[in-house]
Amino acid sequence: MSIARRLLSTALALFALPVLLLAVWWGYTLGGSSFFVPEPVQLADTFVNTWITGERLTEDVLPSLQRLVLGLFLAIVLGVLLGLLVGLNKTARSLTEPVFEFFRALPPPVLIPVLMLTIGVGTEMQVAVIVSGCLWPVLLNTIEGVRGVDPVQSETSRAYGITGFSRIRHQLLPGAAPPIMAGVRQTLSIGLILMVISEMFATSSGLGFTIVQFQRSFAIPEMWSGIVVLGMIGVALSFIFQFVERRVLRWYHGLKEVENAA
Amino acid sequence: MQPDPEDASPAATSGPAGATLPDEEALLRVRGLQKIYPADAGPVEAIRDLTFDLGRGELTCLVGPSGSGKTTLLKCIAGLMSTSDGDVALGGKTITGPPKNMAVVFQEYGRSLFPWLRVGANVELPLKNAGTPRARRKELVDEALEAVGLEHVHKSYPWQLSGGMQQRVAIARAIAYQPEVLLMDEPFAAVDAQTRADLEDLIRSVWKKLGVTILFVTHDIDESVYLGQRVIMLSSSPTVIQDDIAIDLPAERTQLETRSDPRFTELRHHVYEQIQQAKQGFRPRGA
Repeated sequence: MSIARRLLSTALALFALPVLLLAVWWGYTLGGSSFFVPEPVQLADTFVNTWITGERLTEDVLPSLQRLVLGLFLAIVLGVLLGLLVGLNKTARSLTEPVFEFFRALPPPVLIPVLMLTIGVGTEMQVAVIVSGCLWPVLLNTIEGVRGVDPVQSETSRAYGITGFSRIRHQLLPGAAPPIMAGVRQTLSIGLILMVISEMFATSSGLGFTIVQFQRSFAIPEMWSGIVVLGMIGVALSFIFQFVERRVLRWYHGLKEVENAA
Repeated sequence: MQPDPEDASPAATSGPAGATLPDEEALLRVRGLQKIYPADAGPVEAIRDLTFDLGRGELTCLVGPSGSGKTTLLKCIAGLMSTSDGDVALGGKTITGPPKNMAVVFQEYGRSLFPWLRVGANVELPLKNAGTPRARRKELVDEALEAVGLEHVHKSYPWQLSGGMQQRVAIARAIAYQPEVLLMDEPFAAVDAQTRADLEDLIRSVWKKLGVTILFVTHDIDESVYLGQRVIMLSSSPTVIQDDIAIDLPAERTQLETRSDPRFTELRHHVYEQIQQAKQGFRPRGA
């Protein structure tokens, strides 16, 4: 009984606002339809026809997702590795930090023409754009996390002979995990934006490309349905992130709870 | 230094050196240890000249006024900090980095235990790192947690435990590592008085059971007399040894009986006096 009630209240919390928004949208389109705002039912129909039954799922969505996942993966791995190297070394830190801040401040889309010329047009360029934007939050947060590791923990590691790679694995990475995860969270939304933007230049497939195509050919409901796909990818990424984060940082949330209660 | 016939007090004639032992009895030797920190306003001499030995299986307490370089000394012995002059040798080998057969218990237990590891894993980590086989590791971890009375909290995270229990976990981690020398840096300074008394008795019992050599740093005079077989008193900084006395209390000690023993009061009185003198800047001759 109480489980059923709890499920019900969770479902309510999850769906109440979306349902309300849908209702408002539906009410708005009742009066007479605008060319640029499709009705909910029409959009749902277009969505299924465009993305589920057609070939776009395999020809546009999947390649986009692959590039996104590859770009994010490279950015996170590179960011953490580089962050460890720089974070552990005071000289490296003071030498690189201003440069990193400069690169971080560059909006990655401005690099697209340059990358197109140097790397060429294609998947490599798109992945490079995603990496060039997604690297910085992870990198800078890892540096910060490694630098901010508790000196007593470091001394404990040394006293017990936990050094080198073993120390990275058992002390530094877990200790720096909270800021690293915060960096990863920022990076996910940047990655999605860059995935779309990188596909707007000199490509013939991908989500971004397709949405722009729809826009230019005044296929307005189709364009909207593409935006819905983007939103769904964003939500899915966020859910996956939360799932992983809850596991990796369980200790951290528990520790914070105890500290706040005290 | 010139002998001075007028000065007959043992503290003064012993000069700046602590008790030393013949080679075969000494496990840890500290010789002429000096530590100077570089600072913006010029170098600061934290420790001037310390010489003493720790015998195998001895439980020695080190007391001194605050700022007397107790932690600095401990870190130099632990190989966590380099010395400016003199040397520290464990079993005849000069210490240049943290030795394998030495374990340290820090004052800040909450920050010394890894919060992302459960209690069992925290105790196990140094052994895992040293390549101890899994079965042996489990044995050592179980024994150590049992020795500190925490066999039931394997699966808890350290931050779910009280301060006293966390420090017990840190002690368990140290004894599971099977050190010959156990260094403790004001381990009970941050726990409440009752827990503290329990932990003091725990240290005595662990020491007797394992026969490990312990150097216990504290600022608490009563604690040093209650725990130690010997108390080394430090002067204020730049630090030398103020006095080094044997605690001739019975080996079986209890909080109630021992602390009301007249001999305990006498010894406590002596240590207290020395520390007061140290605070006022009195230094043994020649230092």
